[in-house]
Amino acid sequence: MKKIFVIAILAVAVSCSKEKTYVFDVKNVDVKQQSGVKGTAKSTTEFISIAYADLFGTTISNDDLAKLFTAYSAFGDKKLIEDRIIRNFLDLPGTNIPTSQVMRNDIPTFITNSYKKLFNRNPNEFEKYYLKNLVQNDTSITSEMMYYSFMTSNEYRYY
Amino acid sequence: MKRRDFVKRVGAATAGAFAVPYILPSGRLFAATGSRLANHVVFCLFAGGVRNLDSIQKAEGNLMRGILNGTEAISPDIAPAMQPLPASPLPQALQNYGTLFNEFRYGAGPTGHYNGHATAITGNYTNADLSIRDNPNMPTVFEYYRKHNSPQQTALNAWWVSNSLGPFPSLNYSKYSGYGSAYGANFIAPTFLVSLDSYDAIGNPHLFSSTEEAVVKNIKSFMDNNFPVSYENNSAGVTNTEADAVIVNAFINDLFTRAVAGQFNNPWNLPANVMSNDMYNVFFAEEIIKYLATLNRAPELLVVNMQDVDICHTNFTQYCNNLRKADWAVAHLWNTIQATPGMANDTILIVAPEHGRNSLANSIVDAYGRFALDHTAPEVTQGGDQVAREIFCLVAGPPSVVHQAQVITAVQGESIEIVPLISRILGYDNDIPSGLLRPYTNCAVQQAMF
Repeated sequence: MKKIFVIAILAVAVSCSKEKTYVFDVKNVDVKQQSGVKGTAKSTTEFISIAYADLFGTTISNDDLAKLFTAYSAFGDKKLIEDRIIRNFLDLPGTNIPTSQVMRNDIPTFITNSYKKLFNRNPNEFEKYYLKNLVQNDTSITSEMMYYSFMTSNEYRYY
Repeated sequence: MKRRDFVKRVGAATAGAFAVPYILPSGRLFAATGSRLANHVVFCLFAGGVRNLDSIQKAEGNLMRGILNGTEAISPDIAPAMQPLPASPLPQALQNYGTLFNEFRYGAGPTGHYNGHATAITGNYTNADLSIRDNPNMPTVFEYYRKHNSPQQTALNAWWVSNSLGPFPSLNYSKYSGYGSAYGANFIAPTFLVSLDSYDAIGNPHLFSSTEEAVVKNIKSFMDNNFPVSYENNSAGVTNTEADAVIVNAFINDLFTRAVAGQFNNPWNLPANVMSNDMYNVFFAEEIIKYLATLNRAPELLVVNMQDVDICHTNFTQYCNNLRKADWAVAHLWNTIQATPGMANDTILIVAPEHGRNSLANSIVDAYGRFALDHTAPEVTQGGDQVAREIFCLVAGPPSVVHQAQVITAVQGESIEIVPLISRILGYDNDIPSGLLRPYTNCAVQQAMF
């Protein structure tokens, strides 16, 4: 009788284990590329369209694109013309650059957001550290100057 | 020791003495490598397709009184369509300041505008595989100049001034290995750059203070140092040095300022509606010359083109009218060169069409009853109408360098000889690797030079 009781207890213990539930889902991964991966230069149209969208938060009109394309095509030093295009954009109404006050209220966030928006990647620790110190220690630096620097840098020209 | 280094060292040792001529194995006497015949070259592509019959041979009268001697009256049936032009800015026709090759030849390749331009600018005939979406296969005159001239010069010294866009911007450098955009010219299409559209796009650039500029430069430098690819040359086109870019930007600003002030509405004070695209293109080429000359940086090599005569595909009479305007513009260009300190008496002007036009007309008739002309010469080996290969070439320059008032009437000289000629004028002809160009010693165009 005692044997039967032990067997019954063991049978109950091993026969009713709870079934495991497996959940198949997409894992969130960081798709921001590192700067070293970028190697393709944006085309003329891509550069203009992306720069406009980054600064104004909207798609450039066909008319404005055509105007910019004319200017772009009419001079051989593309870097020089791109510099002028960005500077021209900066003086147009409607840019959505964060104000300098917003930048100074939270410099690390401004830097991270700018890298994500303009370079399509996160800044590395050194970039964050260097730029944060730079902005912090030089009160003459405006958010506009930061955006101009980003958008006329080599990295902005590539994807 | 490389020959270039040798020449440099020897040159340094004898600096200020004299240029030593030497005798080549061919027995011909030349000045040593590096000796120049002049310090500036302006090459005017009198393009769009100009038929010798209508230019040099004056079948419709002398339509080119700025360049050619003679007062032959314009054919009376088309004369009413000729717009009034002031007398030539020159005291005598330009041909008297140099040597005129009456029977120059565009010897091979399709007689298309881009092919003709590419041939004249590269010194090599092109064939049907020339891509209009790409830079030419062979090095351009600008690359030879910037790579082989000693000392090497920046792009501020070399300009390609085009009257149109399309494929023509690609002619400021080639895709030839070892040359390319690093040695290219500043390309400018001024009638497009100095326009309302371009003004809206780039005419009001944000200005930072000098202090801010320094800060911005520092930030950019940091960012660029953290990115392994440098955006310059090739996909960036021709990149000016930082110092030159300041000059170019100031020049563009100056153009916009003057355009807004209305100074370009009729800059040559011509009768109403006469100023054409060709004339504007030459005008802006002159502005480049004058602006840079004030900085003591007058361009050493400038190529400018005109193409309004191509209206001849549909309107022969307007072709004649536009030929007169192009001619007047060339005379004005020479006048400006001679009025520009640093370039006066030290510039050689070369004028040549890229190709001619057919002898046989197409079926389009203009308001004056004249049939229009295309430019479709078959390959030479195929025979047929080869008149579109017949062009002229004028080489004008200082009397001590260029034979004055000389006319070569025989069939001599070809489009592909202009680049070797420019190389000789600017003194780097012996530094160009063999096989890339027709040797200057084999060029008939050398007859223009002392």
